[in-house]
Amino acid sequence: MNMQTAITMTAAETALIDAYTAQIGELPGEGAVLSARDTLLANLRQQGLPTRRVESWHYTDLRALLRAVPAFDPTAFAEKVDPLVPGSSVLSVLNGKADTKNLPAGINVRSYAESLIDGVAAADLIERDQDDAIGRINGSFVRDGFEIEVPEGTELEQPVEFQLVQSAGQSHSRFPVTFGANSKATIIERHLSVSDAASLVTVVSDLILDEGAEITWIILQQQGASDSHLAQVNFDLGTNAKLRLFVINAGGKLVRQEVHGVTTGEGADFKLRGINLLGAETHTDVTFTLGHDVPNTTSTEILRNVLFDRAKGVFQGQIRVAPDAQKTDAKMACNTLLLSDDADFSAKPELEIFADDVQCGHGATVIDINPTHLYYLRARGIPENKARAMLVNAFVDEIVEELEDEGLIETLETIIAAWLEKHA
Amino acid sequence: MAAVQETIDQVALIDVDQYKYGFETTIEMDKAPKGLSEDIIRFISAKKNEPDWMLEWRLEAYQRWLTLEEPTWARVNYPKIDFNEIYFYAAPKSTPGPTSIDDVDPELLRVYEKLGIPLREQEILAGVKTPRIAVDAVFDSVSVVTTFKEELKKAGVIFMSISEAIREHPDLVKKYLGTVVPTTDNYYATLNSAVFTDGSFVFVPKGVRCPMELSTYFRINEKGTGQFERTLIIAEDSAYVSYLEGCTAPQRDENQLHAAVVELVALDDAEIKYSTVQNWYPGDKEGKGGIYNFVTKRGDCRGKNSKISWTQVETGSAITWKYPSCILRGDGSRGEFYSIAVSNGHQQIDSGTKMIHLGKNTSSRIVSKGIAAGVSQNTYRGQVSTHRKAENARNFTQCDSLLIGDKCGAHTVPYIEARNSSAQFEHEATTSKISEDQLFYCLQRGIPTEAAIALIVNGFVKEVIQELPMEFAVEAQKLIGISLEGSVG
Repeated sequence: MNMQTAITMTAAETALIDAYTAQIGELPGEGAVLSARDTLLANLRQQGLPTRRVESWHYTDLRALLRAVPAFDPTAFAEKVDPLVPGSSVLSVLNGKADTKNLPAGINVRSYAESLIDGVAAADLIERDQDDAIGRINGSFVRDGFEIEVPEGTELEQPVEFQLVQSAGQSHSRFPVTFGANSKATIIERHLSVSDAASLVTVVSDLILDEGAEITWIILQQQGASDSHLAQVNFDLGTNAKLRLFVINAGGKLVRQEVHGVTTGEGADFKLRGINLLGAETHTDVTFTLGHDVPNTTSTEILRNVLFDRAKGVFQGQIRVAPDAQKTDAKMACNTLLLSDDADFSAKPELEIFADDVQCGHGATVIDINPTHLYYLRARGIPENKARAMLVNAFVDEIVEELEDEGLIETLETIIAAWLEKHA
Repeated sequence: MAAVQETIDQVALIDVDQYKYGFETTIEMDKAPKGLSEDIIRFISAKKNEPDWMLEWRLEAYQRWLTLEEPTWARVNYPKIDFNEIYFYAAPKSTPGPTSIDDVDPELLRVYEKLGIPLREQEILAGVKTPRIAVDAVFDSVSVVTTFKEELKKAGVIFMSISEAIREHPDLVKKYLGTVVPTTDNYYATLNSAVFTDGSFVFVPKGVRCPMELSTYFRINEKGTGQFERTLIIAEDSAYVSYLEGCTAPQRDENQLHAAVVELVALDDAEIKYSTVQNWYPGDKEGKGGIYNFVTKRGDCRGKNSKISWTQVETGSAITWKYPSCILRGDGSRGEFYSIAVSNGHQQIDSGTKMIHLGKNTSSRIVSKGIAAGVSQNTYRGQVSTHRKAENARNFTQCDSLLIGDKCGAHTVPYIEARNSSAQFEHEATTSKISEDQLFYCLQRGIPTEAAIALIVNGFVKEVIQELPMEFAVEAQKLIGISLEGSVG
């Protein structure tokens, strides 16, 4: 794999390298943090952005797709918006800068910039593996974010909303979050764009769930039509910990959302629910890996994808069952509605199993709207476009309804309906 | 004492070393010098009295091969193959090419007798019970005999070794060879194009339904050789042919390379059914020896409403790297892939299929059953894709894996690529172990564990076995039983 030695750099690669030289003086952190950044950037320079020859980027040729990188814009202005669920504690990152006013009580919060400055962050700034382009870019440029600890036994009544509002330029944030034993919380990670200018946003969230923690984490990505969004969630589930992760993509031009997890305690349970609403000429990739590393852990993943126009969608899902991880129960489904002949969807659901006493399965389907269903509705006097919208809505709604919070369900349904109305 | 001996015998039986075709025959061989070079290719070509265009084709492939790198993406591990340590050509001295059965070295005939392959037509005819199958017997690098040639000729079917076909039907070979698997296709296919020594050629003309099953039996015998065979099957408009392939090799502690290329061409309304029972030597229980099986098989449904069906039972080889595929080019064409892959001991299998939907209203069906035991690794790797213009493409894929024992691995790596809204793709995969309830049910009725497992496994693979021609189905069922022996306890 020495193909990187002779590559000529693309405009985006050059822009990233140049941006580093330009920004390095003002990026927070010195010593170990700085040297970790340097290492990551050196690797980026050496390897370049991944192409389809890198297996984990097979369907998302980042080198070809990331055409340009907007320059960091220190003057860009963005402000907080109302939270998705009234009463939530809002932690906002505006154009990559954490707003540390009015930090919520009951949990320990500090800005990630502080963590970078005092050097604690140095340990985070590593690559998952040699194909980890997101970790590499984010780790080189990260400026801010929030470091959070939810103390043992804490039950948060109201959601915490991470609000990442972007108007232009670049933003690179991190969210290391530790959930103490038996804590309960709902976290909303919300990505918004408030202008038409192109942005590059990278985010890495590292979640650790201690014994018995029960967490719902919702990612709502609604970036602008010309934005590139590279995100990664890493998680580690302790004994009996439960994580429900909802990923809703309804924006962005080039989106890659990675989810990587391991179960390290028996009885851990993970659920991934995803909705990808893809339209226009966009490229959206959800890549998921989960290692069932210990016995008696469970997971289910359900993804629903709807594609219009010239959208391209990708789902890669890999479930690994370690030797001795007996009694693993893992099920993964990826269902796609392909509503345009110019759209395309690629799926790679993988199973990698080294233990015998397991139940693992995956299913993947790609279809158009069922003509019988359409006929049923039309026979009842519902016009075709409306009937189609109803069916598409029903297809994705199932996912949202798994949330218990009525208010949240309603808000998300409104967002989905509005998106469908705009694109259908 | 008797009881002790019985136990010892029993334990000896329950072992991976169950390979009953592992004998070696001493036959005087005519070999090319070791290694690979242009001279060796010229030597092979000259041995086969090939026309110049064939030699040029080979040399071009060789030049290309020199620029390629061995693929590493499959989930198989093996030490690097030293191509200079392989004999690329080895033929029995007494029978250097296909002849009539009377001229074949009796020693060779005994080999096939031992393997249970009938080569004497009269014997075949005399046996009322055995169904009639025409056989092309390939021994190391050459085809030694092809049976029922005359009778097939009457029906218009050409069935002969590819070396003969190159000499006798150069136009047909020229027209189709390399059109499904081009010389540039992949590392092993390119190597094969340069050095292939024999294989079968089948041509079924327009409207002919081949009157009997055709089959090729491959045998690797000589030490240090590689086998590179090339098979080309053409079914013209509305023709039908069913073709079977079987293979065995002696038990040795060295690894031998087998890199074949199979090309199928089905024209309008034609149907080709290709069945394989692959039983190369899998190596011993320590993982020593065994065949490296790197095979490129591809069918081209070139005509409208044509159909190609692959059925494979993979039980042998130390390493299997094989993806029989269908290019569904003709409108309304259909591709099928039924597979049973059984791995035990240290075997590694990375196998699956590709269904490439190019024409309108094409459909494909994939049923793959993987069974892993011992410390083996069993991977299904498949691709289903539609072209933007392939309206109403339909695919159904089912791949199930069964794990026996906690030291083996089963993996599924499907690639699903939809580029047309009218495509309808369904894919499902499961992995589990033999259900305790089923096993308990059998044991309770006095069926011993091994027999019970064989019974359950046979139920698991039944869907695929049913697709095999009858005489192969029985053999396949037995083979699966053998492969799994020793996997319990």
